[in-house]
Amino acid sequence: MTKPIVHVEDFSLTIGEKKIVKNLNFDVLPGEVFAFLGANGSGKTSTIRSLLGIYQQTTGELLVNGTPLTPESAAVVGYLPEERGLYTRSKVLDTMIYFGELKGMTRDDARDFSVAFLERVELADKANIKIKKLSGGQQQKIQLGVAIMGDPQLLILDEPTKGLDPVNRKLLLDIVDELQEKGTAVIYITHLMEEVERLADRLLILKDGVARAYGTVAEVKEEFTSTSIEDIFVQIYKEKSNVVGAEAAPSKKKTTKKEGK
Amino acid sequence: MSKLRSVIRHEYLTIVKQPSFWIVMIAIPAIIALIGVLTILGNKNSADRIQEISKDIKNVAIVDQSGLINKDVAAAAELKISPAEKINTLRDKVKSGEKEALIVYPSSLKKDRSYQLYLSSDDLTKMGAISTLADNLLKTSVFLPLGSPEVIAIAQGGATADMTFYKDGRETAGFNEYVVPGLFVVLFYIIFAFSIGYMLTSVSEEKENRSMEMVLTYVQPRTLILGKLLAVMLVTLTQVAFFGLLAILALVVAPHVGVTVALPFGIDLAKLVFDPIAITLGFAFLFTGFLMYAGFMTATAAIAPSAKEANSFSGVFFIGAFIPFYFIYMIATDPENKIVSFLTYFPLTSPVVSLIRNTVGNFNGLEGWIALAVMFAFMLVSIWVAVRAFKLGALEFSQTIKLSSLFKKS
Repeated sequence: MTKPIVHVEDFSLTIGEKKIVKNLNFDVLPGEVFAFLGANGSGKTSTIRSLLGIYQQTTGELLVNGTPLTPESAAVVGYLPEERGLYTRSKVLDTMIYFGELKGMTRDDARDFSVAFLERVELADKANIKIKKLSGGQQQKIQLGVAIMGDPQLLILDEPTKGLDPVNRKLLLDIVDELQEKGTAVIYITHLMEEVERLADRLLILKDGVARAYGTVAEVKEEFTSTSIEDIFVQIYKEKSNVVGAEAAPSKKKTTKKEGK
Repeated sequence: MSKLRSVIRHEYLTIVKQPSFWIVMIAIPAIIALIGVLTILGNKNSADRIQEISKDIKNVAIVDQSGLINKDVAAAAELKISPAEKINTLRDKVKSGEKEALIVYPSSLKKDRSYQLYLSSDDLTKMGAISTLADNLLKTSVFLPLGSPEVIAIAQGGATADMTFYKDGRETAGFNEYVVPGLFVVLFYIIFAFSIGYMLTSVSEEKENRSMEMVLTYVQPRTLILGKLLAVMLVTLTQVAFFGLLAILALVVAPHVGVTVALPFGIDLAKLVFDPIAITLGFAFLFTGFLMYAGFMTATAAIAPSAKEANSFSGVFFIGAFIPFYFIYMIATDPENKIVSFLTYFPLTSPVVSLIRNTVGNFNGLEGWIALAVMFAFMLVSIWVAVRAFKLGALEFSQTIKLSSLFKKS
């Protein structure tokens, strides 16, 4: 059996009086694209922040490569958050090198990677200009570059194509494909179900902090007797909240059963 | 350690690479120098012009009831002293413009030290010239009996005192003792004016531009804050070095261009005192005070959802740093005063008050070290609050963190 790169077990998160996530269990396997879906406020970002060690979970465990992630061990992760931005007053290359260093790369390696990436995304001529002078789409490419620096084993992309034109969207999805081929696991958060259909190997749909669907794309479609992930998503969100609860979350047994593609 | 180094380098270079950083650094001394030069030139020109005009004013009537005005002095200015009975006639002539002015030195001049001027117009230049003329006539007449010009100069301008101070039976350097510890007060305000705000900007901008979440994935909050603090300290050192070099350059260049740099309060660079205890305390107050304020600024930036709101909140700290100036005389001369004691230990005022008291040396016994210990405790609290606020507020992009939540167990 393939050892998961991400293992989340009995994870709950309460902030203040609010229960954000309830008894969540899932695994992410090396080399797969794992679609992590849910409406706004369903607990996706909080789960990711807890996985990264930014938030402290209330109960359960969130492991990457078998251990809780800390800033010291986070170099294996590339993260493109939903609330993303860059140092607008800094130059493109300086910013990328800085993030490379924070991810444990040497300055030279970070520079080499950044220069190559900027060439790839046709921004080489912008290397020495300030980020605030780039368009939104160009800034997003730089953010993606920062996320994939250092060949991460796990890439977390939170709505990566939001705001991108079709050309840049294709470029981003091609890069994700390449990384996947190299064995990188991708947690892909999106509201665009066609991207899920195109990219995802497995998925989890979160509603009110509770997992409502989990498994391979085919398994989920079979379970909900539907041919469209979008229809399944809508069906889940049309259900009354009080119908579902923590009990509806996939159990550890179920997770194991549906681990494979 | 390497992440800390990266944060320090990034934060430092982000600040010093901004053109605005250097523009402000260069503009401030340049503007001060320019204002100084313009003031000196302007005053000199005005004084010269008034002096010239006053020499040319001949159509002025003088009535002396005080008996202090010397006729020869008036005659030397080609003026004549008129009898007191003609006051009304002369005043009418001024009214009609026939005379430019009437100066009346009354019999009560010695007692009241005031005389009357009647002017034919409200021209400010003419007013200045005639005032100067009237004043010169009086002073020269009064001082004339003293004899030599040297004696008159002393009577007019006084003399400088060459002071010798003794303390505990030993000669001291007097005001020169205050200069070196006093530099720490100046340094504190330079840091405050230029650098403390960078902490606020650095954190609130990172929040506002949404780069915080990516950064916090790879760096511990305390490493990030420490890196920012150390970077701001480096920025401060850069500024101090720049201003120091500028001051040295001015002292070296000034004599070669014929400008005499007169240090105030009889400061003599050769007589400066380098008291190790005062310097140690000064440095400790400066360093601790800086970190305490930086901690509060970081917490403010982390708590507030935007740079604009963080700036509004930070006004409290600026007020705290400047309040001691309202009490500076009391702080320097009355250390036993309850208000001084309160300001010495109150966190927002303690750095400046302690630095001033260290400068004038009015800490009694161990009081300075106790003040330092208290300030150090506040510094630890401020950094704890900063880290806590940062953890709670760094990723809150739309709402202000409640103060009470800082002290809740997470």
